[in-house]
Amino acid sequence: MACTDPAASVGGASASPAPLIFAIQHFCIHDGPGTRSVVFFKGCPLRCQWCQNPESWRRETELAHKGHLCIDCDTCVDVCPTGALTAPGVWDPARCDLCLRCVDACPAAAMVRFGEPRSADDVLAALQPEFNLYRRSAGGVTLSGGEATLFVPLATEIAQRLKNQAIHSTLETCGLFKLAAVQPLLAAIDLVLFDLKLFDDEAHRAQCGAGNAGVKENLRALVRRAASGAGPRVWPRLPIIPGITSVADNVTGWASLLQEIGVRGVTLVPYHQFGAGKRSWLPDAPAAPELGALSPAELARSAAILAAHGVQSFAPGAEDWRLAGGVATRG
Amino acid sequence: MDITDAIAETTTPLPGDLGRDEVVDLRVHASVLPPPTARIVRLREVMRATPCSICLERPRLLRAFERSREGKLADKEHATIRRAKALRYVLQHRAPRIYDDELIVGNMSSKRIGANYYHEGISVNILEDIARLETRAVPLHLTAAEKRELLKLGLWGATRSIAARSLGRPGRLSHFAHLLRPRRYIVTEEAGISHQVGGYADVVQCGLIRVDSRAAACIASGLLENGSPANADQLAFFASVRIAVEGVVAMATHLAEACEARAAAATTTPERRDELRIIAAGCRHVPLHPARTLQEGLQACWLVHVALNLEDYEQGLSFGRLDQILGPLYARAVGASASATDVTATTHADTSRIVELLASFELKTCETIPLFSERVDMGFSGNTVGQAITLGGVDAAGDDATNPLSGLFLDAFAQIQTREPNMQVRVHAQTPEWFLHKAMAVVQLGSGSPALFGDAAIIGALQAVGVAEAHARDYAVIGCVEIASPGRTYNSSDAALINLPLCLELALNRGRQFPGPHGSRKQLGARTPPVAELLTFEDVVAAFRAQVVDAVDEVAQVLSWLEPCYRAHRTTPVNSMITEGCVESGRDVTWGGAMYDMTALQAVGLADTGDSLHALRRLVFDDKAMSLTAFVAILTTDFADQEPLRLRLQRRFEHYGNGDRRADEMTDLAANIYADAIGSHSNSRGGVWIPGFYSMTCGTSFGSVTGALPNGRHAGARLSNGFSPVDGSDASGPTALLRSAASLSTQRWANGGALNIKFDAHTVRGRVGRDALASLFRTYLVDQAGMQVQINVLDSETLRAAKLDPNAFPNLLVRVSGYCAYFNDLQPEIQDELIARTAHGVH
Repeated sequence: MACTDPAASVGGASASPAPLIFAIQHFCIHDGPGTRSVVFFKGCPLRCQWCQNPESWRRETELAHKGHLCIDCDTCVDVCPTGALTAPGVWDPARCDLCLRCVDACPAAAMVRFGEPRSADDVLAALQPEFNLYRRSAGGVTLSGGEATLFVPLATEIAQRLKNQAIHSTLETCGLFKLAAVQPLLAAIDLVLFDLKLFDDEAHRAQCGAGNAGVKENLRALVRRAASGAGPRVWPRLPIIPGITSVADNVTGWASLLQEIGVRGVTLVPYHQFGAGKRSWLPDAPAAPELGALSPAELARSAAILAAHGVQSFAPGAEDWRLAGGVATRG
Repeated sequence: MDITDAIAETTTPLPGDLGRDEVVDLRVHASVLPPPTARIVRLREVMRATPCSICLERPRLLRAFERSREGKLADKEHATIRRAKALRYVLQHRAPRIYDDELIVGNMSSKRIGANYYHEGISVNILEDIARLETRAVPLHLTAAEKRELLKLGLWGATRSIAARSLGRPGRLSHFAHLLRPRRYIVTEEAGISHQVGGYADVVQCGLIRVDSRAAACIASGLLENGSPANADQLAFFASVRIAVEGVVAMATHLAEACEARAAAATTTPERRDELRIIAAGCRHVPLHPARTLQEGLQACWLVHVALNLEDYEQGLSFGRLDQILGPLYARAVGASASATDVTATTHADTSRIVELLASFELKTCETIPLFSERVDMGFSGNTVGQAITLGGVDAAGDDATNPLSGLFLDAFAQIQTREPNMQVRVHAQTPEWFLHKAMAVVQLGSGSPALFGDAAIIGALQAVGVAEAHARDYAVIGCVEIASPGRTYNSSDAALINLPLCLELALNRGRQFPGPHGSRKQLGARTPPVAELLTFEDVVAAFRAQVVDAVDEVAQVLSWLEPCYRAHRTTPVNSMITEGCVESGRDVTWGGAMYDMTALQAVGLADTGDSLHALRRLVFDDKAMSLTAFVAILTTDFADQEPLRLRLQRRFEHYGNGDRRADEMTDLAANIYADAIGSHSNSRGGVWIPGFYSMTCGTSFGSVTGALPNGRHAGARLSNGFSPVDGSDASGPTALLRSAASLSTQRWANGGALNIKFDAHTVRGRVGRDALASLFRTYLVDQAGMQVQINVLDSETLRAAKLDPNAFPNLLVRVSGYCAYFNDLQPEIQDELIARTAHGVH
């Protein structure tokens, strides 16, 4: 799916459909300091080929079919009022009005919906039981997705209410946003996990569906603000995708930039194939690319390049957050 | 190669000030899991390579005693004196065996790894397997001559078993038959009571000489210690104690002599000669006298433990809080205060020597295995007898009692990782970080040990059944999960297990099972109303309650037949001499001598029952999707042609273990109904009945005879384990699972319970995994007052094996940075990825 303009790809901010959350996941140990819950917002301006959460792309509620759970009982076909469903797992999106009767009726939990409108109250209620664990582990909540910066009002309210209760909050972002628009969110957030992908703008456009000039600009701005204490701490993360982001030139490009702006630590996020199967659940998602397994040597080489630029690499969850740029507000 | 390693190779350590957490972590790294010494490696390898066998020495000597002049004379004496003399005969005449390298001596049997034979219990069952001993799942190696002798001794002992004595009479034979094919319950007390945590603190600090002289004084004066006259039974009890002490001392002396003989042998190296002389001196001193060194303290505990094993039965004989008991001797050994938490105060050489001693001690527990036929093993597999060591926790005043020895016992275990002993770690608000982290480091090794126990929940549960606060705070674990105030309790902690889901099946069919290959056609339970008359959910609950009460009452009947036989034929003077209250009252533990007396029955299939109650309530009474009669008709056919409904119940209904209040409340309701039924009984020793929630592997055997359940479980499928959720139904991650578990009314569970939680080795590896596990379980055990958890960290081999059975792949946590994992659908390709990553650790 080609989508160069983030606003266009997600239906335009002006349409501003109600924000959807597609999952809240607890006991996450690789998404910021300590043990955390991750709130997954639905909707993303990028379409990275290797994406592990394809159900996060579209901002709208989606119908999906988990074929491995289906027992071909035809219940979904029987209850479909529009005739969109013609066989288990087969439907015409044009005729589907997302009434979700098939999801309610499916005995096997094979027909599922992705994306539910959830209020801040609702999200906080889901997080509340985990507060003790956040405190015990020096953890907190990570707003992720998708891209949480597409939903500044809701994300900000969640972060602010966590802050009021002294719970650490992290924003995980692809970096493609209008800085002024996310300002309220940044004011409520303690840490930004800033994802880097392709250093070259054209390559970024080819692999991720949009150029990266805005990403780099935002990274510089956020790091600068963090350094002056005017914004949350910033920590970049580089997914190591075999043959794509792992190539030496790409890592060198980012390493030079990080060195230039004074970043001292980075997380290398190793590629994995856990997300590949999800593509088949969604009617219009392209199959995941065959990238092969990541070799330890590729990781080690990436770390060595970064080290040569004075940037220390960490595995997800093993970061030394004291290297994060900026001023710790808490913990 | 792990990414952390790959990255670490290119980076240098951080300069400058390390935060407190890092210092703790470094200490964990520095002190956790020191490598085993060459001696421990050799001992461990010998134990791993040695095949299992059966020791016939005990029954052989008991039969010889019976036929000896001494034995014939003893026939005229009080039964408990006769029993003590038989034990003394065994202890005096058994051959001492000293093995290479060991620092703690005292062979558990005549075989390096052997099952002792208890003709008083159920050992005779092994004759069922006699033609295939070497080809069983747990092979047992015997020579042809030994097999002949086993047959002869088996027949000799069969009529002397407790089951034959108690049930082998008209009107009780049907119960005897039930023991062979358990459905509603299995009376484990038929095998033996054992399950004891003796007063090893007194053994170490005072020696048996103290109890011996107290018994002697009572005999001499004819009075109890309180001045009242002692009757004939009481005098016989005191005599039995003295006779048993003689036996223990004789066994220790023979071991000392064997050490001395070995030391004198020309082939013995000078180093080993010195070791043997020290060991011999120890065995001449303990357990009769107070231990002078840490080694003697361990030796004293071990010798009394061996005597207990030979006395009556071996299951669940546990050591209690060895870190507390031996703390003062440890302090003396290293010249520091045992209460000092500074692990680094001792020199490396000291620590290494002490860990080696502890590992040698722990390896001794691997010398014994249980003797179960394959039929019995279906309910109790694992090949362990459950010798627990309890570490950490609070002292009598409620303050943290963790000491350096607490950690060193774990270090020693990490070096051997054997199926015994059972390492049990107590956790409370002040448990030091370093100790919990060390426990998690051992858990990461994947041996399923140590298990964690929440002090708040357990102390409260013990107090609720009358244990004094200071004594409750001193609790130790019996065997796997059961609890006792050590040295003060006689808890028949594993008296019976009850099939809880079967009670629900019976409630839905007037006390009979659903027809089918799994079911009995008999009237098994109470004649509760027919299903057409169960008009409300409360009616269903009342019928279920009636069936639980009926099953529990029947077990009470059987136990009431067993208990007098124990009093007459299976008195246990060694057990009694290390249990407070017995010498004071002049009564054996089987006569009710202990300060605290209990009988405990466990419920099997708790979550299956709770989820079934919830499913039934929602489907029939809330959603009104069908009538109860129609639903029960579907259950009686095991969901024939109803796969969509069955799946809906399994996948779309709420389940215990997901932090869902409605489902959790139904599981708590099932537990409370069970606890109510148990609480209405007491034993004939004057002790209370208490409930426990663990299954051993009875979930499999009970499951095979249990019909379809309202939660979608097929007839014959295995039942949920302990108070764990139904396999595959915990779809909300570990925090929700633990919250559900902690929401149950465990304050009523004085015999404890077992909660299993599984992780793949990769997800919880390294410091990140250790930190995450430590905070997760501290939150559960301290903040939420959770009772117990055992953590299984699965390696790739286990995962691969599980994948072969589509229903057996555990509901593992998948956690990868930024990845949204759907817990309840580990697709085949994700399973493969998980296995690959666990095997190679690339990600």
